[in-house]
Amino acid sequence: MKKLLHKELRLTAAPITYLFLAFALMTLIPGYPILMGGFFITLGIFYTFQMTRESGDILFTALLPCKKSDVVRAKYAFCLLIELSGWLLCALLTALRLTLWREVPVYTHNAMMNANFAYLGWLLFLFALFNAVFLGGFFRTAYGLGRPFIRYCIVWFLTIAAAEALHHFPGMAGMNSQTGSYGMQLFVLAAGALLFALLTAVSCRTACRHFERIDL
Amino acid sequence: MNETVLQVEGLCKQYPAFALREVSFSLTAGRIMGFIGRNGAGKTTTLKAILGLVHPDAGEISYFGLPFAAHEQQIKEQIGYAAGGTAYYQRRRVGEIAAVTADFYPGWDDKAYRNYLRRFSLDENKCLRELSEGMKVKFLLTLALSHHARLLLLDEPTSGLDPVSREELLEIFLTLAGEGVAILFSTHITSDLEKCADDIAYIQKGRLLAQCPIDCFRQDYRLVHRQGELTPQQQEIILGRCTERAGETLLIRREDAPLFEGAAVTCPTLEQVMVHLEKEDTP
Repeated sequence: MKKLLHKELRLTAAPITYLFLAFALMTLIPGYPILMGGFFITLGIFYTFQMTRESGDILFTALLPCKKSDVVRAKYAFCLLIELSGWLLCALLTALRLTLWREVPVYTHNAMMNANFAYLGWLLFLFALFNAVFLGGFFRTAYGLGRPFIRYCIVWFLTIAAAEALHHFPGMAGMNSQTGSYGMQLFVLAAGALLFALLTAVSCRTACRHFERIDL
Repeated sequence: MNETVLQVEGLCKQYPAFALREVSFSLTAGRIMGFIGRNGAGKTTTLKAILGLVHPDAGEISYFGLPFAAHEQQIKEQIGYAAGGTAYYQRRRVGEIAAVTADFYPGWDDKAYRNYLRRFSLDENKCLRELSEGMKVKFLLTLALSHHARLLLLDEPTSGLDPVSREELLEIFLTLAGEGVAILFSTHITSDLEKCADDIAYIQKGRLLAQCPIDCFRQDYRLVHRQGELTPQQQEIILGRCTERAGETLLIRREDAPLFEGAAVTCPTLEQVMVHLEKEDTP
C-alpha cells in the first residue's frame, strides 16, 4: 500500500493538484463564499484523475504485483492526503482569523461565511461528498470522469448554498461568529469529521467491490 | 526447460456481440508461441483474461502450476506484459517509471536493468512521449526483464514498427527464449512468427482452431494453384480459396493433395493458411 501511494505521488499526480492546495488561501477572502477554496482543491484532484485515465495508470497499476482492491485504496489514500493537507492549511488560516484578525472589520461585518470551526466542518463534509460522489462514481467504470464530476458539482453547489444561507436563519447567527458560539460550531465540525470518515469508508468499500467486477 | 509456465483451460467469456469459447492451450519454458487470428478474433480478450484484467465466465488459468486467482501477486512478480501502441505515463521519464516499478518487485535486478538500457539504447532521462513506438515496447520489455520475468505476454508488440525495429525485437525474443523465458506473442503479422515462433495458437471468432508447433501447422495444409475446372470431389475438400494475379489458389488438407494430381501443389506459408481459412469463413 505504501508503495502504491508512493507511485501515486511520483507518477500519477498532476502537478496542478499540489498547486491547487494554494486555494486554501481563499479562507482569508472576506465577503466571498470561502468554501470555494475546498472546491478548487477537489478540482485539483480531478485533474489527477484526468491524467490517470490518459496515462493508462489504472491498467499499469492493475498489472503490478498487488491486489486489485489496493489499486482503489491507493487512489483513496492519495485523495485523503491531498484533502487533509488542504484542510490543515485552511485550519491554520482559520486559526489566524480566529485569533490575530478576529476584530478586523471586514471579517466582523461579513455577510458571507466566516472562517471558524463550522467552516472547517463544512469543508470536511464537502470533501466527503467528493469522495462519495466523484470517486465512488469513477470506480464504477474506472474510465468515465465527466458524469461523476458533474454530479459532484451539483451536490456541492446545493451544499454550499445551504451552508452560506444557514447563519441567516433565526437563532443560527452564532454559526458565523468568530468570537463565540463555539459549541454550535464544534458540533458542525464533529458532524463534518464523522461524515467524512463514514462516507469515505463506505465509498471506498463500494468502489473496491465495483472495481473488482470491472473488465479493464 | 519443459516446465509448463502457462496453462489455460476452457476459457469462456460472453459479450453481447462476441464470445470466447472454450479456449485451452499451454506454454512451456523457453518457447515462443504465436497467438494469431484476425482483428476481433479474441486475442486481446484472451490475453486480458489470462492477466486477470477481464473476468472469464468459465475456465482455469494457472502459471507455473499455481492457480492465478489464489496466487495473483506471486505470479505477477514473475510475468511481464507489453502491448504495442500502449504508452503509460507519456510525460514521465524512463528512469522515474523504472524507479517506481522497481519497488514492487522483490526480484528487481538493477544490474540487469542497466544492461537492458544499454542493449536497447534507452536514455533514462527521456520522457516516454519522446520515444518511438519501437523504443516504447523495448522499455516495457526492459521493465519486464529487469525483474527476471519468466513469462512474457505480448499483445501485438510489433504492430506499428518499421521492418528493422521488428527484426530487432524478434532477435531479442529469440535470445530471451534461449535463456528460458517463455513468450506468448499475439499478432496478425504472421511473417514475424515464421521467423521466431515455435508454436502457434490460432483463434477464429473466439474459438481456438489449433495449437501446435508452427511447422506441423503449416505441414497440415497444401496450396493448390488451380488449373482448369474442379471436379465435385475436389470442390468438397477445399478449405479456402483466394484469387491472385497469377490465378486462383486453393487451400486443402495435406492428405487430400493426391486428388490434385498434375496441379502445382506447394506448402503454404502461415499467412496463406490464415488468409485462405479466414476468407472462406467470411460470409
